[in-house]
Amino acid sequence: MNRSYLFIPGNSPAMVQTLDVFESDAVILDLEDSVDVRDKDAALELIHQFLRRLRPHNIEIYVRLNDLETTLKEEVKRLNNTDINGYVIPKATHHLINEVEALTDKPLIALIESPRSVLNALEIADCKSVIGIILGGEDLSTSLGANRTKEGLELFTARQLVVLAARASNIEAIDTPFTDPIDELGLMQDCQTAKGFGFTGKTAIHPNQIEAINQTFVPSKEAINDALRIVIKAKTATKGAFSLDGKMIDKPIIERAKSLLKLAQNYGLYGGDDLE
Amino acid sequence: MKAKAGSFESGDCIVTVEDAKDLIVEIESTVFAQFGEQIDRTIKQVLTEYKINNIKLICQDKGALDYTIIARTKVALKRGGYIE
Repeated sequence: MNRSYLFIPGNSPAMVQTLDVFESDAVILDLEDSVDVRDKDAALELIHQFLRRLRPHNIEIYVRLNDLETTLKEEVKRLNNTDINGYVIPKATHHLINEVEALTDKPLIALIESPRSVLNALEIADCKSVIGIILGGEDLSTSLGANRTKEGLELFTARQLVVLAARASNIEAIDTPFTDPIDELGLMQDCQTAKGFGFTGKTAIHPNQIEAINQTFVPSKEAINDALRIVIKAKTATKGAFSLDGKMIDKPIIERAKSLLKLAQNYGLYGGDDLE
Repeated sequence: MKAKAGSFESGDCIVTVEDAKDLIVEIESTVFAQFGEQIDRTIKQVLTEYKINNIKLICQDKGALDYTIIARTKVALKRGGYIE
């Protein structure tokens, strides 16, 4: 599970060859929106040569493909023998995911960016190769005829549905990027909103967004301490439910505390053995 | 057919190819003194791989690494119809 996914324009050598210095948990080399239509071939070749010769092994690398009507098949054929962690599928539908699954065994992350895809998010999340779904807020807002705002009210239901689908399928729920790279306060608020919805991570369009995202999508010290107390008390409790600080603790809360400690463990924030 | 690939952005290069009777490779680079020979060798490895020896290739380099020079050379050759 990754906190941050940084989009890197696929036809920019200066960005591609430094992708591991931004401290993003994962990067998405982009062949789609950030690449001029006349340079799709150049971006694909550049990414292919980079992955063959210089692929760093301290970071997860995904490639966002173009859609099926244009160059997707050629891109998968070209990149299948490289050491990438998977593909990001734009404008994902259940049908498109199935088509890509026929071309590759690599894991897929689906971009949910149309009203229909939002409504079918669970069907997409349930596809066997899909390990995460990303909400694509810009394209979705355009399709909805809604103004894209920093507060993101226009994405309220879509965010809930994407998180519900991802959680139901036990895969990553990845939030849409915050598109103003210099508004730090706005980014922090947007990260908190996404975390509040239950997203597990967030995409970034600029390296300076990574720190805020990484800091947000880990449990706080207070949350770790609370979870630890719940898990420890649960071990000695003689009933399924018990009281702690005046609050009733039962199985779902204990499970959530364990999940939180496991996440904290993954990011080196907790080193105890109370999960055993 | 004349064709090119790449950009003048830092870390990139523009490779231009066109028909010629012999093999001509010209390199313009801000780091020619240090890396001119290596750039030449990298380009010629690609041309040798495809057995191309009657082409004029100009590489205008802005500090590109080998993988970028290879990628831009291959794309210029594809766009020019020299390779598939």
